[in-house]
Amino acid sequence: MSQTSGRLDGLGRALSRTREATLLTVRRRDAAAVFLATTLAYLLAYLWAIGHLAPGLGGFELLVVDGALAQFLQQARGPLAFRPVARVSVGPLTYLFSLNTAIGAVIAGLVGLNLALSYLAYTSPAACGIGSQSAGLFASLPALLSGSACCGPVILIVLGIQASGVLLSAFQFLLPVAVLALLGSLVLVGRQVSVQAV
Amino acid sequence: MGRLTRRGFLGAAGVTALAGCTELSTSSAGDAGGDSGRATGTDATAACPSAVTDGSPPPGSASVGSGDPFPTAEAQLPLPMSPSALREEARSGGPPKDGIPSIDEPQFVGADDAPFLSDRDVVFGVVRDGVATAYPQRILASHEIVNDTLAGTPVAVTYCPLTGTAMGFYRGSTTFGVSGRLINNNLVMYDRATETWWPQILATAIPGRWNENPDVRSLREFRLVWARWHDWRTQHPDTRVLSTETGYARNYNSDPYGSYTPLSGYYEGGPTMFPDLSDDDRFDEKAVVMGARTPEGAAAFRKRSLREQGLMTGELAGTSIVAVHDPRYDTGYVYQNPAERSFSVDADCGRVLGDGERYAPDSLPLARVYTFDAMWFAWDGYYPDSTVYE
Repeated sequence: MSQTSGRLDGLGRALSRTREATLLTVRRRDAAAVFLATTLAYLLAYLWAIGHLAPGLGGFELLVVDGALAQFLQQARGPLAFRPVARVSVGPLTYLFSLNTAIGAVIAGLVGLNLALSYLAYTSPAACGIGSQSAGLFASLPALLSGSACCGPVILIVLGIQASGVLLSAFQFLLPVAVLALLGSLVLVGRQVSVQAV
Repeated sequence: MGRLTRRGFLGAAGVTALAGCTELSTSSAGDAGGDSGRATGTDATAACPSAVTDGSPPPGSASVGSGDPFPTAEAQLPLPMSPSALREEARSGGPPKDGIPSIDEPQFVGADDAPFLSDRDVVFGVVRDGVATAYPQRILASHEIVNDTLAGTPVAVTYCPLTGTAMGFYRGSTTFGVSGRLINNNLVMYDRATETWWPQILATAIPGRWNENPDVRSLREFRLVWARWHDWRTQHPDTRVLSTETGYARNYNSDPYGSYTPLSGYYEGGPTMFPDLSDDDRFDEKAVVMGARTPEGAAAFRKRSLREQGLMTGELAGTSIVAVHDPRYDTGYVYQNPAERSFSVDADCGRVLGDGERYAPDSLPLARVYTFDAMWFAWDGYYPDSTVYE
């Protein structure tokens, strides 16, 4: 009983330190810069991976489809892959707006926080622990791999792997796994940051 | 499902079909007519005129099941196994029903207003009542089905990226959509009137999740010519082109599978995306064959061989056939040649010589069999008893 209580106390402390460290990333300009740069870079990478940011047909255009709101939640190419409802063409690049942009932004924000906290932990003299600073980077990979195309994930073509039912099912869980991994990694790193020490 | 079982069913289907049909399939019937360019006599000395046959007259009252929302063929096309066994082979490709949205209100532009097409881009062409229409592969890769109307006749123009097959169907009063299922990596369409599953290449109804007991019959088909944009436009300067204004926000410069310009990604080679039904590895899985099939059987010519030789002969269900390469579009046509008439190719003009006359490759004086491009694994998986020539 006391062991369970001790674990809960430990988790509570870790969460509390993570929350404080997260707030610190806003106050510290260098940490905020790390957060913003990482978030933006990851979001762009995610959109690229799912094909929503790619070389287009050229020209300048903003297209919003009829009934965009109704289509916004419609599943497209697979689980957690939603139908684009707007197209923005800016010269050689074309961006497709869908619910996946919002999903990507959430994941990118988590990746950004992970890296910002890792930065704080690295620069904090009170930081300790080995390896957990990089956990966020590894945790960010599943979401990138989840970029799927109709009738199969593009990554399989690149790797020359044939899709099986099991593999396709596994791909469905990449996004949720990424979110959970990033949250876990956030606590792992955040607990190492001593707000008083930085 | 074992190969013997599949072959056994193909044989049974062939016997059934023979019992009910003495002519070519509706497929082949549907592949005759159109704007054929036949050059005979003095025409033969003229410059090669542009012409292509799209196929078929609009379906008439002869269609089986006249109460159906769509016209069906007079005889069923062969299946590699029983319809219920085919259903068991269906697997999810990832997208849900209509997750890949068909284009139901297509718009068209003139050739000069299609700068998004490069010369080497693949288009699927058809000529109906003198009007040429091109459907760009780069658009159909994202939609797979266009519910269109050609010369007043409702049609469905379909394309499966994973099997490299472009096929036209008469759709009657209904429309077709993408089920999200694949068999042998091939698109399984569904009609929105009866919700029956229709594997594209087989063009025949099978039981599915939304219609457990459909009448097993085949759709009426018409030929789409797989061509490069430059070739199509050269032959049809006034062609209209499917517009990128499809009603959907898509990037039509982005094909998730690869590219035909240059050949890369999935289209270039390597394994299929999902397990297939083929177990014959005499060719690379993605090698292209010109496949011809009737209710009686199937035959295929390797496209590369046909291109090199210009003309090839073979046999389909015991009947002599002749395959002709058409250099205007780099495509092929297959004809039944029961009298085994002799033909040769005039390579200088891309004409076929026979009986002292010259013919355009799409206009030999023989019954043409519905023929289409397909990746080898797709053809062999569906028609394991097909005769194959290279």
